[in-house]
Amino acid sequence: MSKYELPKKFDYKNVSLLKQFITETGKIIPARVTGVSASNQRKLTRYIKIARFLALIPYTDMHK
Amino acid sequence: MKKYEAIIILNPNLSSKVDSFIKDFEKLLKANTFNIKKMEDIGRRQLSYSINNHNKGHYLIFNIEGNAENIIDIENKIKYNESIIRHLFISVKEHDGEDSQLLIDSRNKKSESEDEESNVKNEVKEKPADDDEKKNEEEIVSKEESIEDISSDSIEEDSKDE
Repeated sequence: MSKYELPKKFDYKNVSLLKQFITETGKIIPARVTGVSASNQRKLTRYIKIARFLALIPYTDMHK
Repeated sequence: MKKYEAIIILNPNLSSKVDSFIKDFEKLLKANTFNIKKMEDIGRRQLSYSINNHNKGHYLIFNIEGNAENIIDIENKIKYNESIIRHLFISVKEHDGEDSQLLIDSRNKKSESEDEESNVKNEVKEKPADDDEKKNEEEIVSKEESIEDISSDSIEEDSKDE
C-alpha cells in the first residue's frame, strides 16, 4: 500500500493526477487502497466526476 | 457577484473560427453583467469518449464574475449553439490567477509533437494531426498496434492484482 502525495491545491484540470486515482476500467479507487485522507477523497471524487463529464478522463473502458 | 469558471468544448471542425466565437461569447457575457477575469485557450484535445461523433474538442476556459441570476440566460443561449458540443459552469470561491494544469499540459504536448515531427515519425504518435487523410490511415494502424499493447499490458497487471 503506497501513500499518494496530493498537492494542497488541485482540481479537475489536473488530469494526470486524477488518472492515478482511477482504475484501468475507469472506476474511482477507494481511499482504503490509496491511503488518501477522507477530505481529499471527497475532493477527488468530485473532481473526477467533473473531469469525466468534460471528457478529460473516461467513464469506462467500454467507450466506442 | 459570484465567481464562476466556464468550460466550453467547441466543435473541432470550427477551430479556425475560435477567435470570432470568443468575441461573440465575450459580448454575450458582457450583455449579462459578466466580466471576464481570464481566458484560456487550451486548443484541440483528444476526448476520452466521443461526443456527438466528435473525437476531438477545442477546449476554452473562462474565469468570469457576475450576477448568479444571469447565468441561466447565458446557458439558455448556449444550449442551442451547435458549435458547442459541451459546456459547464462551475462556481468557485476564488480564481487563482495562475495558468491551469490543462494549459500547461497542452503547451508541453505542442512542443513535444513539434520535436517528434522534426525527428521524423516515431513509432506511435501521441498527437497526430487529423487533417490529412493519409495520416489518418497511419493513425488507425498505429492505434491497432497500441490497442494490442494495452490489452496485453492489462492482462499482465490483472494477474499481478490477483
